[in-house]
Amino acid sequence: MIRNTRMKRISIVSAVAVAGAMVLSTLPAQAADPGVTSTEIKLGLSSPQTGTAALSYGKLPKAMKAYFDYINANGGVYGRKIKLVARDDKYLPTQAATQTTNLVLNDKVFALVGALGTATHTKAYAAAQLAKNNVPDLFVNTGFSGFDNKTKYPTTFLVLPSYAMEAKIIGKFIADTPTLKPQASFLVAQDDEFGIDGVNGFKLAGHAFTKTTLYPQGGLSSALAETALTGFSAAPGKPVIVLMGTTDTTATILKAAEKLSLTTKFNWIVGSVGGDANTLLALGVKSTTIDGVMAASFFPDAKDTSDEYVSQFMKINMSYNPGVSFDNVVLQGMNSAMLTVQALRAAGKNLTRAGLIKAIEDKGSTFASAGLAPLNYSATSRVGYNGYWFGQLNAKGELLPYITGKRTLYTTDSTTTSAPVLSTYERKPIPKNGIPTN
Amino acid sequence: MLQFITAILTSLSAGAIYALMSTALVLVWRSTRVINFAQAGQAVLTTYIGYEVTVRTGSYWYGLIAAILSGALIGATIDRFFMRPIFKRIKSGPIVMIAPVVATLGLLGIIQAIIGFIWGLSYQTLAAPVSTDGYKISETVIAFSPFNLMVLISVTITMILLTILFQKTNIGLALRASAYSPEIAKLSGIKVDAVRTLGWAIAGAAGGLAGMLYIPNSYLYPNGMDVLLVFGFIAAVIGGLDSLFGAVAGAMILGFAINFVATYVSYKLVFPTAFVILILVLLVKPGGLFSSSKGRKD
Amino acid sequence: MHKISANRKRLFTFILLGWALLLIGDRIGELRQYQGAFVAMYALAIASIILLTGYSGQLSLGHSALMAVGAYAGALSINNLKLNPVIALIVAALVAGIFGLILGIAAARLSGPYLAGTTLALAISLPTIANQFTILGGEQGILFDIGAPPARFGEGFSQYKWFFWISSLAALIMIWMISNLMHSKFGRVFRALRDNQTAAQLSGINIGRQKAVAFGLSAGVAGLAGGLLVMLISGVSPSAFPLSLSFSLLTGAVVTGVYDLKGVMLGGLVLVAIPEIADSIGSRVGGSDGFTMALPGFLVSALLILAVLFLPNGPGKLLKKKM
Repeated sequence: MIRNTRMKRISIVSAVAVAGAMVLSTLPAQAADPGVTSTEIKLGLSSPQTGTAALSYGKLPKAMKAYFDYINANGGVYGRKIKLVARDDKYLPTQAATQTTNLVLNDKVFALVGALGTATHTKAYAAAQLAKNNVPDLFVNTGFSGFDNKTKYPTTFLVLPSYAMEAKIIGKFIADTPTLKPQASFLVAQDDEFGIDGVNGFKLAGHAFTKTTLYPQGGLSSALAETALTGFSAAPGKPVIVLMGTTDTTATILKAAEKLSLTTKFNWIVGSVGGDANTLLALGVKSTTIDGVMAASFFPDAKDTSDEYVSQFMKINMSYNPGVSFDNVVLQGMNSAMLTVQALRAAGKNLTRAGLIKAIEDKGSTFASAGLAPLNYSATSRVGYNGYWFGQLNAKGELLPYITGKRTLYTTDSTTTSAPVLSTYERKPIPKNGIPTN
Repeated sequence: MLQFITAILTSLSAGAIYALMSTALVLVWRSTRVINFAQAGQAVLTTYIGYEVTVRTGSYWYGLIAAILSGALIGATIDRFFMRPIFKRIKSGPIVMIAPVVATLGLLGIIQAIIGFIWGLSYQTLAAPVSTDGYKISETVIAFSPFNLMVLISVTITMILLTILFQKTNIGLALRASAYSPEIAKLSGIKVDAVRTLGWAIAGAAGGLAGMLYIPNSYLYPNGMDVLLVFGFIAAVIGGLDSLFGAVAGAMILGFAINFVATYVSYKLVFPTAFVILILVLLVKPGGLFSSSKGRKD
Repeated sequence: MHKISANRKRLFTFILLGWALLLIGDRIGELRQYQGAFVAMYALAIASIILLTGYSGQLSLGHSALMAVGAYAGALSINNLKLNPVIALIVAALVAGIFGLILGIAAARLSGPYLAGTTLALAISLPTIANQFTILGGEQGILFDIGAPPARFGEGFSQYKWFFWISSLAALIMIWMISNLMHSKFGRVFRALRDNQTAAQLSGINIGRQKAVAFGLSAGVAGLAGGLLVMLISGVSPSAFPLSLSFSLLTGAVVTGVYDLKGVMLGGLVLVAIPEIADSIGSRVGGSDGFTMALPGFLVSALLILAVLFLPNGPGKLLKKKM
């Protein structure tokens, strides 16, 4: 009996206490843009740090932070140090919505960088009222072309090419390559934004697959992969298989092929998300299997130490992100961080949110970056990179141009059937020591 | 035709693994009337232990023994120091049904968190001890490898041993009696608590075996056996939670159904198939396919 | 006479609570308003679990799926049927309720773990099913826009406060209705189902029907909670209702006392507060990546276990007599 009343009292007291705490933590009104002081710029990132998506993107926050730390050690941005607040959204829309709202209202960041995922970020954008508060939403890590919409997402800037673009360019590559064009072709894609955008892109490219197989995330076991591949192997010749999914499933499918001795039966093309060779090798795929797998990319290969951006980022990674191996995700993160620094610099010493957005619209297309495709920011376009070059992995997991020595880049859009065009874009050289001075 | 054969073979392999999980769940249910959701966590934890032993000793077999033994130990420990206090505190009301289940859910979270603390959250791979390349039958490679064979043999032996244990030995009788009627069992001199701990130990060992047999075909990470737990549970329910044979039968039915529906209809239907099979079975036989006709309201 | 004044007392308490919430809503900042809206939503979802498990003794592991049904129904009625958002929430509850009723009828003969298994299977299949029909929007899902606060509330009335009002009031009204129901004959029937099915049957209660009704009611409440959830995240998608949500709801219900509706607000608070607390502990304590990332999960699970071990009947009233 006593325990009852005591417990009841405790629960009432605690409820009142929490309510009281909530009341007392009212926030005073803010006049200037939050997140900027004379010494600091606060940026926010909501991304999957745990869960299956973390396999592909877990390294992102620390990679970005490493680059920011490097810049901070070299004077920061006009004397202001960049602080990155990274929150884990587990790739779940509810978490993304609450974490992004936390970043805006609780951590009071100046701008968001690198937000990840379509289902997640569309919800987070609305929930955190980014439009209303004019919070810049820079260089989102998703291939969803719908973000290129100034009315709906006025503060968002894409950076990655969309999955539809990737699919169109892969479609063109298949059509242009005599050894691939006449073959049967199969698409195995994850039944969500990764896959569906890709499916649409192939349709735009006019490429018809013999069979399209969509699987739920986490639902393609090795057993199912084996049956699928056996079915595909009935096709004559050397069919093309395009894999658009996360790395773990890509590895599962490749390992199933090893088991069935079907690795040389197919021409393998892996999508950008699941095609990181390092991860595939770490997940147990044999290097003999990786050898010859084709993939599209808009970056130089993360192992290509002859590339000035790669070698500079590698150096930064070793000093400021020790213990983490350098791969495509780290490259992507540091690249976005470098773009962010240039954007902040372009916005001037009197840093405002509106000013930052305008700076990217005006000058974003001239920023230096590791990407081999052009950046397409303008007053009317929020699209970042819009192109891919086609390559082939070797046994070491390095992506080399498909036609030896000749890296040809194609650019395209996400929504029309117009064919990808050959690009003559020349990448800007890296600023000295990787420190922008724009 | 080849795809049909492949589907059968891969269903067998998948079903065998599900059978181990469903058996472990049925074991715990039969000896304690608890659905042990922590099974997935225990199995992964013991597989990590097996993985560490394999890496350090260079032999998968030492790792396998380590996994089975540590599985038994962890299972027994959980029952002795975790489930027993819970049972002591909760004696009546429907919370009796719910509390242990919820407690095992909490335990699952803790185990997965501890794994994360110790080993981090990245994926590891465990190499199989025998070849995973398919056998070659006159020019065609089939979807059945020496490792698949090893899995099937291991599972079959385990099932036979367990059935003998339960049906033909005194300990087995004690296990069944303690679950079905603890008071009467106590009266006949059976140490119910100790017997129950033994049940958990056996289940833990089965989980450890399941992990070491499953992970070489998948990846080792804290949530690595969550899907297996769900399918194992559904298989156990399909077969009837009271029956070890039902656990295996349910696992095979589920494995075949998922594989064939996925291959011939759509891969998107993997999870809905499980649901549909389950509902169909339970509509006809609410206690599962092979449950005893007693149909007690538990 | 005695019963009427108990009901009146309850109504009065709820109205008082409502006023208190509105007053609090005025004083706290936007972030707390947003979090408060989540607390109310979770509290409502937990109430649906308590209704089903605490009152009628059935265990469901798939309430995330029921929330999803309500959520999609609500979103579709705004987008495709162009209904008023408030009506949409009612639609959410109704559709989920009917779905739950049908499910309950199918599952009426299932006991304990068999019902649990069925609901578990439902929960994991739901995302896939949602992906099958283009009308459901696939992975991006459908937008759910509750609309801006009415102009007459003035400029200072933020969207978050609007969320807070809608969420709290919806939860409050629904919980009040359930509370009334549980103190009526309905409630006694449910509790009879829970405590002694044989005796209940002997006294003429149709077990199967009542179990289905309980399931339907629980589903309706969950559906409303689902509608509130997607209102808060401005849209519905399959990934918003993972299996872990079902487990979280169960956790919340057990931690706050599965027999009593009184604790639901605390349960909602726990579900919202613990991850935040864990996040801040993690960032302050530092340590390896594995540690900080696994910490929130660890804390939630530890809390659950502690609750089960030490407060199996919840911090509210212990089950001292048949309620």
